[in-house]
Amino acid sequence: MIGKELKDMKHTGLFRRSAPVAVETGRLADFAYLQPGAVYLDSACQSLRPQPVLDALTEYYTEYNACGGRVKYAWGTRVDREVQDARTAVLDLLGLSGRSHAVSFTLNTTFGLNLLLQQLPQGRFGRVVTSHIEHNSVFLPTMTAATRLGVPRLVLDRAPDGALVYQPAQLERAVVVVNVASNIDGRLLTNLTDLVRDTHARGGIVILDAAQAMAHERTLLAKTEADALCFSAHKMYGASLGVVVAAHDLLGSLELTFVGGGMVADVREDSFDLLTNDPGALLEPGLQAWGEIIALRRAIEWVGTVRPDGRPAAEHIQGLSQRLFEGLSDIPGLTLVNSEASPVISLYAPKQDSHRLAVFLSQSQIMVRSGYFCAHHYLKEQLGLPPLLRFSLGLHSTTADIDQAAQALARLMKGLS
Amino acid sequence: MFCIAAFIVLVFMAAVSARYRRYLGKAWNCTLRRVTFRPCDTTFKQDIKDHLLAPLAVRRPGLVGPASVALEVVALLVVLTTVWSAYVVVKSGVNLYVYGTCNKQDSASCSLGAEACSIPDQTPTFGESLLSGDVIGAFGNDFASLGETFSAIPSRMQNWDAEEYLPANASYLAAYDAKKETALEVIDPGCTYCLQLFNNIEEAGFDDRMNLTYIAYPIASADGYKFENSLLVTQYLEALRLNPLEGAETPVDWEILRRIYTEDNDKGVSWQSVINGAEPASATALLQDWSAEFGLSPEQVASVASVAASDEVADIIATNTQLVEERIHTVKIPSIIFDGRRHDGLVSVGDLD
Repeated sequence: MIGKELKDMKHTGLFRRSAPVAVETGRLADFAYLQPGAVYLDSACQSLRPQPVLDALTEYYTEYNACGGRVKYAWGTRVDREVQDARTAVLDLLGLSGRSHAVSFTLNTTFGLNLLLQQLPQGRFGRVVTSHIEHNSVFLPTMTAATRLGVPRLVLDRAPDGALVYQPAQLERAVVVVNVASNIDGRLLTNLTDLVRDTHARGGIVILDAAQAMAHERTLLAKTEADALCFSAHKMYGASLGVVVAAHDLLGSLELTFVGGGMVADVREDSFDLLTNDPGALLEPGLQAWGEIIALRRAIEWVGTVRPDGRPAAEHIQGLSQRLFEGLSDIPGLTLVNSEASPVISLYAPKQDSHRLAVFLSQSQIMVRSGYFCAHHYLKEQLGLPPLLRFSLGLHSTTADIDQAAQALARLMKGLS
Repeated sequence: MFCIAAFIVLVFMAAVSARYRRYLGKAWNCTLRRVTFRPCDTTFKQDIKDHLLAPLAVRRPGLVGPASVALEVVALLVVLTTVWSAYVVVKSGVNLYVYGTCNKQDSASCSLGAEACSIPDQTPTFGESLLSGDVIGAFGNDFASLGETFSAIPSRMQNWDAEEYLPANASYLAAYDAKKETALEVIDPGCTYCLQLFNNIEEAGFDDRMNLTYIAYPIASADGYKFENSLLVTQYLEALRLNPLEGAETPVDWEILRRIYTEDNDKGVSWQSVINGAEPASATALLQDWSAEFGLSPEQVASVASVAASDEVADIIATNTQLVEERIHTVKIPSIIFDGRRHDGLVSVGDLD
């Protein structure tokens, strides 16, 4: 499998490609604050925030900066309403119901996954299953969770199309934790529905890392029957915030060890009662990032309504992805990890250090990521690749950005060779 | 090598700008690994190099390769020059402490110490050895010199007592008084700083408070003596000490020194300059005239002239030379021992007071 993946990596410069498809050239007005010349291509790390999200944050901090969930004055009750709207917006975005699922807010995807995995009930599960192409936010907690639960951990392959390669028997009483979209090459968990069905059929649960999927690849997640998914608002145009969407059953089964204010109905000297009517609160000990939660609702609204160049956001990103993929493919001396266009494209130049290329590109105000993108096991240990260069698109991106980046990289590659 | 160079540069940059202090810790960790022969943190090295090369990469990416090599060479030079500079600073500092001059081979060239006539070191300098192709000798001589300086540190810290270094037949400027402390000068009759010291001594009344005596030490040079007639004057001084004039209030050798150091001829030229520039015969005639003037009979003058050229005086001068170079260990003339210390170079009136 690995050899095939390496073989499938696209070595550029061998064939001329057809002219890129024509797409827009202007930047969305919601990103007008971006300085001229700045080309930000690291949305896989965190997306730029559109003006409405910034406005929502500013509005909270300047007009009703109060705690939620515990006060009676007007500012606080407004916060409560806004936070509740944010929870609803998240569920609506995924097509889920508040009767079966709850939304919890936390720091980020990693924190959300840990909250779930480190509090799973002992004795219920027989193994922990994950895949090789996972981000460390999945890869590491699955190790510690397996150790804590006293069960084996199974690391499976992903097919080139992103599907998890498994035998149904491998899912027996399994805690399956996988990403929906890779942060390396954007490949999707194409057999998500089958995976959830097969896992549930064998008494297991599925927890999804949806960090890279929520911005532009949410289709797969619509009405998902997975037991939980975690994502980061800051990768989908929101402020810095982690989100956990989990089934009530799973939340109710957790052996809570991370507890505090905001999740209890009553407390005595040696015991306490958890809230019974708010499952989402079980993962929210202490005060929350109220402004960021409120801004998330604005981000969800924005993503749902924005139409760059009059087209749906997904279609727009697809066009840009294709242009980026083709632009990078034309540069001699590069090896692309992606086999097809994606909002996230990783590559390396065998004769050049990716960190150096990133620094050199930065000199031209082109911001791309270099390294192993928290996927050391897969890229470094399994594929034996050098540090990579990653280009990731957002709705702020333009064709001019892409062309500028591709031209700058091409010039560098030519000059450095 | 690059991270060591970066650390060196950052130390200076961080001293003037907080912006660079955040990198100092990284550079130090990298340097520490390097100097303990562990692999350096290549990420730090690469980061620094990449940021330095980035502006060039944007304009002329083809020059990045050569520039990268050049940076390594510059880094090597920075490290080498820094190490050498540190070595020179330490060496100069120790020399300054031990000998009162940062340049032991040419003490007069060091402005940090007191003014003095230097006693030239005949050992080839580092540069001279290198130019002659003697690389091992260049380093060997330098390290040997440093070792010698370090070994002389204890003597610098000792309590100096002039009585322990008195020459044979010591004569005193004023009548010897056992109640007074003894001070010992090491002088060259031709050295202008000895002239200034003598004047400072008289101005400070130092000679009234001390039993002041001297060792006449003609400074040698590569082709004779630094001041051509210093040996001749020294021979006469030693001969006069061997044949002191009875009843003289001030020993004749001191009278001659006073004349050389304090008086001018009828043209307003100091006698020291006259002696330094005179032919040996003229200088001899002057010394003999002065001896007669200070009370020696013609027979005594002739006797002194004979003794001055004798082996006995030669032996005394050789013994005194050994005393100066191997026991007193000074490289600066004048030097004066008093008050428990060895003072190298010219001493001010204030310090003599």
